[in-house]
Formats: sequence, structure tokens, C-alpha cells
Amino acid sequence: MLDQLARQIEALLVATEEPVTVGRICELTGCGTESAEQAVLRIEAELASGGHSIVVARLAGGYRIVTDPELGFIVGQLFEGKRHSRLSRASLETLAVIAYRQPATRAQVEAVRGVNSDSAMRTLLERDLVKIEGRQETPGRPLLYGTTSRFLEYFGLNKLEHLPRTNEMENLLKLSAEDIERLASELSGEESDQII
Amino acid sequence: MSADGQTACRIDIQDFEGPLDLLLFLIRRDELDVTTIHVAEVAGQYLDYIREAEDLNLDIAGEYLVMAATLTRMKSRLLLPVERALMDDTEDPMETLMRHLVLYKAFKEVASELRENESIWRDVYTPPGERDRYEEDVTVTDPGQTSLLELLLALENMAEKNAPAPRHRIHKPLLSLTECVSVLDRLLSLESAKDFSDAVGKDADQAVVVSFFVAILELVKRGWITTEQSYPFADIVMKRKTERWEMNA
Repeated sequence: MLDQLARQIEALLVATEEPVTVGRICELTGCGTESAEQAVLRIEAELASGGHSIVVARLAGGYRIVTDPELGFIVGQLFEGKRHSRLSRASLETLAVIAYRQPATRAQVEAVRGVNSDSAMRTLLERDLVKIEGRQETPGRPLLYGTTSRFLEYFGLNKLEHLPRTNEMENLLKLSAEDIERLASELSGEESDQII
Repeated sequence: MSADGQTACRIDIQDFEGPLDLLLFLIRRDELDVTTIHVAEVAGQYLDYIREAEDLNLDIAGEYLVMAATLTRMKSRLLLPVERALMDDTEDPMETLMRHLVLYKAFKEVASELRENESIWRDVYTPPGERDRYEEDVTVTDPGQTSLLELLLALENMAEKNAPAPRHRIHKPLLSLTECVSVLDRLLSLESAKDFSDAVGKDADQAVVVSFFVAILELVKRGWITTEQSYPFADIVMKRKTERWEMNA
């Protein structure tokens, strides 16, 4: 049996539209950070011991209750034909570059990938996985892109630091920073960046 | 060329995400290490592959050809004896390419890890929440933050509330050609020229200006007046040419 606080939080995690942060939970229930976190653990334990089909997911810096991925094949039938297709390899690669190097320009992405990434970029914007974060103050003022919180949710990540191999990628990017900039400036000289 | 080089093009170029991807494939196929490969060898294979693809009239993206050119240049450099001192000045393009390959390879691997995350989390479903039932109908919006759609919806709402009774609008007819011509007949003399703007009056409305303009065109066509304009959009200066105007002639 769950206590009153845990029940309240459980209800929030079910009804929410987006992951609820600990801060928000405290605000809504009037409890402290520590007790909110403890309560979430109790909810998890309760769900697990009862053999329930739902679990607490830690996504984009918050919590929400979701169905067990193992049951995806059953639940998916409810949404047949309505689900987004998987991302293409081009989109995934583009997204990976933006994720580790954000904010990144399209030319920088193309410098790393060695191919035009226009349509991949468009898909990612349409699907709300990347967003425009401003313009780089260099000639041509190219647009800068970053990832969204939808991105974190889509890949089941709690925060950007949870991306695979963060340290390794950071070092690699540092090593190749000059190369990327050089290639990117060559590329951006050829074509101007448009808002798509 | 390696033993299976002949069949290289059976591997569809469409399967690759660009020249770097193709290079990585060739390196991996020969079980070479990206960091220690012999450029000449890989370059050779890459060029063979592109050449065969071209022979088969496959559509090859420009990026592949640029890489082919770069590799050709590297290969030719290998053949030339170069003074060590000269080499130190410029960075070895091969090293740059290798660094680029290592970087791309890492992103490619990360992308495939993200693919795994994607397939797990695609199978995760969330309760739909209350978004449809309790959508706020009064939202405070900062000036300039309203979308076009919201404005149009608001306009539609207002229009429905106090829709006016349908009204007829009566348009003032344009001046007839004969009317315009008779006005000009009175205005224009053989001796002095007259400005178009004076003829139509200072605050003439668009319809009047158009009517008079058409009249002028007619008069010029008939050779009854001459017109002059000192520069584009300047006032048109009109002068009478013939004494009598017979409209019905």
C-alpha cells in the first residue's frame, strides 16, 4: 500500500503531459526534495512488487509513468498507422552531431558527416527533436541548432550528460575542433543558410 | 584491386551515408584499423569503386567525387619524393583525413547506440494526460506573441458575434471616355501645354486618374494630342495638336 504522498505523486506522474521535475512535485505536494525522491522509489517498488505493466521513467530531467517497453507490441496496436517512423540513418547521425556539439551550425554538421544534411535537418526540426537557438556571429550569421527536451524523451535520456560516451566524444571533438571549423567555413562559403 | 574488388559495385552506393561512410566500409571490409591503414591502399579501393559505379552509370553524389579527387591527390603525393623540410610546413592531408574518419566513425557508432535507445523507447507509451479535455481557453499572451492562426480564430469569433446585416455596395461608375475627352477638349489649347495632374485635379481618386489616362491614350492614338514625360513617373505634359475633335468620327 502506498502512503498519501506517494499516491499523490503517482497521480501526477500518470496525468502529466511531460516529465515532472522534482521541483515541480515539491511545489504541488508541498513536500521536500528528499521526501519526493523517496516517495518515487516507493512507487517504483510498489509497481515492481505488484507485477504492474507500468514503470516510472526518468526522462528529460523529470519523472513520468509509462508502459513497460516489453508490452510495446501489444499497446502499439492501438496506434497503428499513427506512429512516427524510425529516424533515418542520416537523421540519426545529424542529430548525434548536434547533440554533442550544440549549439551547432548546419555547416559544422556537414563538415563532420561529409555530406549535405539539409533534409535530415528539416526532418529533425519538424519532429521537434532539434530547435533553432539563434545565430552564430560569424560572416553569414548561420543558424545555430540545439536539441529539445523532446529529444531527451525520444531516446529515453534524463539529461544530455547521459548521452552515450560523453567523455570520449568531447575529447574527440576537441581534437578535431580546428578541422571542423575549417571544413565548415569552406562549406558555408558555398551556400547560405536559409530558414527551413 | 582485391579479389572481391570486381564485385564491389554490388554494394549499392545508396547504402552509404556519404564518402566517409564508404571509406569506413572499405577499411572495415579489409579488417584494417582506421588509425594505421595505408592510405594508398584504401584510396585505390575507393577510386576503383567510384570508377566502377560510374561505369554502371550510377548517380554519384558530388561529395563522393570530391573525396575521389582528394584521394587521387594524396596518392600522387606519395609517389613524389618530397623534401622533409617542405613537408613540415603544411599539414599532412592524410592525417587530417584520418582524424576526420575517426571522428565520423565515433558519431556513426553513437548514432547506432541512439538507434537502440530509439527502438526501446518507441515501445514506451504514456497516458495521454488531460491535454484535450482541459485545454485552457483563456491564455494570456504577450503582445507580439500571438500566432496568425490565433488572430484569425479571434477575428472569426468576433465576426460571428456581431455579424452585420448584409449590405449592398454601390460602386461609383468610372467616368466615361466621352466625358473625359470633353473635359480635356475644354482644357487643352494649341498654344500652351498642360500637366496631367492639373487636368485630373489635385486629389483625384484612382478611378478618375485611370479614366483620364485611358482618354489620353485614346487621344494620342488618334493623333489629337502629343504627350511628353521628362523621366519615368514624372507628370505627363499634354499639348493639343488638332483644332477639332470629333469623337464619333
